[in-house]
Amino acid sequence: MTITPAGPSVTRRTALLGAASLSAPFIRNAAAAEPIRIGMILAKTGQIVDQSEYLAQGTYLALEQQNNTILGRPAEIVWLDEASPQGAQQNMQKLIDEQKVVAVIGGALSSSALAMESVAKRAKIPFVIDNAAAREITGKDCNRYTFRLQAPVPVQARALAPYIMGYGKRWYFITAAYAFGQDILRSFRDILRAAGGTEAGIDEVPLNTPDYSSFILKIRQAKPDLVLGGVSAGDLTTFLKQWNELGMKGKIPFAEIAIGDTDIWGIGPDAASGIFTKTWYYNNPNNTPEDKAFAAAYQKKHNRPAADKAWMGWFTMKSLLGGIEIAKSTEPAAIVAGLEKWQTQDGDLAVHYRSWDHQLLRRTLVVETKPKITDKWDYFDVKASLPANAADLEKVFGDKQEIGCNMEST
Amino acid sequence: MLDTILSQAVNGLVLGFLYVLIAVGLSIIFGLLGIVNFAHGAFFALGAYFAMQLYRSFGWPAVILAPFLAGAIGMVVELSLIRRLYGKEPLLSLILTFALSLLMSALIRLFWGGAGQPFSPPRFLAGFVEWGPVLITTYRLAVLGITTALLIGLWAFFAYTPYGRILRAGSRDAEMVGLLGINLPSVLTWVFGLGCCLAGAAGLLAAPLWTVDPTMSESAIMPAFVIVTIGGLGSYAGAIVAGLLVGVVTALTIAFAPEASAAAMYVLMAVILLLRPRGLFGERWERFE
Repeated sequence: MTITPAGPSVTRRTALLGAASLSAPFIRNAAAAEPIRIGMILAKTGQIVDQSEYLAQGTYLALEQQNNTILGRPAEIVWLDEASPQGAQQNMQKLIDEQKVVAVIGGALSSSALAMESVAKRAKIPFVIDNAAAREITGKDCNRYTFRLQAPVPVQARALAPYIMGYGKRWYFITAAYAFGQDILRSFRDILRAAGGTEAGIDEVPLNTPDYSSFILKIRQAKPDLVLGGVSAGDLTTFLKQWNELGMKGKIPFAEIAIGDTDIWGIGPDAASGIFTKTWYYNNPNNTPEDKAFAAAYQKKHNRPAADKAWMGWFTMKSLLGGIEIAKSTEPAAIVAGLEKWQTQDGDLAVHYRSWDHQLLRRTLVVETKPKITDKWDYFDVKASLPANAADLEKVFGDKQEIGCNMEST
Repeated sequence: MLDTILSQAVNGLVLGFLYVLIAVGLSIIFGLLGIVNFAHGAFFALGAYFAMQLYRSFGWPAVILAPFLAGAIGMVVELSLIRRLYGKEPLLSLILTFALSLLMSALIRLFWGGAGQPFSPPRFLAGFVEWGPVLITTYRLAVLGITTALLIGLWAFFAYTPYGRILRAGSRDAEMVGLLGINLPSVLTWVFGLGCCLAGAAGLLAAPLWTVDPTMSESAIMPAFVIVTIGGLGSYAGAIVAGLLVGVVTALTIAFAPEASAAAMYVLMAVILLLRPRGLFGERWERFE
């Protein structure tokens, strides 16, 4: 007696195909459950770490406000260190290769940002820089995949110049010996020369200088009309503390671009002094309703006012999320196109990334320390938001010839 | 020109006293325990943070406790970790104290955040003194006075007290000191505590001048190692002379080649080690041969 199968015969190949088709929805669900990852490269150690902490807080908050989702899928931020330009480059590559991030945010220091944008170009991954201000980033080193929030050094220099010329035209420069400081030196020397001014002295100082007293003694001997600074973050805090300690506060005016709130909070009300440019200030009465809502959300979450760096992290992430929403895709080229189309209204101004250099066009604040600081967070009076006329914005940020960005070749 | 040299040299000397205080604790720990303490900068930062917190909570008189708190933590660290390394491969102490330094920096960041904390010199030490081209702030003069008093006190302690003699003898021949009935392990705990206490004192004095943030430990540790190396490993007098030398050389470099100021102390170290590999006051020690 033989037993034959009751049903139709099934080959091995058919069985495998059937199994595959049955499991397909589950495979698709598994892919959908895989979060979309945004890479973040910000310092976890070193002199820019305090600014990075706030940049990161703002970045996380922007994603949280979108319920940690992008295009309806769960999303997360993967944060690696910006220890040095080489370290930042390696970590960015790691994010792309191992974490499969769809875009990268970060670049607290210009030197690192410049190094990382070459990775963005090579790997064709959108990279939105939240803090670095060196002109080359969206200038001669620009590329299709790199966007930048902070106004470059020459733009901020032009905004500040009219406010400091009144103090006199004999300036002493003390700038950090790296990309940001060198750019400040170059920009303000050009402005000073054009105005017929003279240089009382130039000191290019190493990063992480713990004691500026010897530099300050040189400045004191030179008797300039104004000191133009180009040291950032913790170095600026140390300089201004010692500037006050050596009795120079109020004797010779000090000016610098792109001060962060954390820099001035670390100095303390007794020692703080100077006139600066800033990207954003929490206590600016002219902030947009969205900015005010962000400031309130930040205050609620962290129980202190939002530093400008927190806003910069938040705004950069918001623009990237907006770009992805416009693209309706996480494909790099689509995100780039989305970021180029993204814009938000700030009063009479449509804030957007300029298509030919990917520089965010937005007004710059000029602020001065209050004569008497009574609130431990509120150090500044906002003197101006420039340019006053929205039509002048393109001109202030420079034309193609001045900027030197040629994206066609990238 | 002469005015510039005079003004910068005096300023460098004053700065050098702060460097001496940072380095001398490191030198004592190495000289007496044979431990290269990479966490020394973290104890320096801890002294600064404790001083800031004590000032905020209780006012200026309370800041004097800051170095003792740093020293007490140092003693706990010695009891729980460091004493397991005596007589072992030097690399182990390097790795352990480096890890400890990272841990302490992370803890500081956790408690106080990454941003700089405002902390200025006391108002009663505001102002400065001027003699011709020389300008010294009252606060820096106070730092100079306190550091000098501490250094003289330490020297007297090591040279003239029985406790100091036990320490010096123990650093040369621990076994013999033990055979004489002295409880050397307990003495060594106090030595490590003393080194950390001195780092804390340097942190307290530097806090009103430097930015009080977690990275201040990194700013302190490198000059400390350079000074100890220039002076001769474990040499008390060497640390003092080298600290002052580093201060003056740095200040004079700032006057004439500011962009090279950060490298100046390393060049000085290289030159001195080429001429005298044991450092200025380095001796031949049996235990390190």
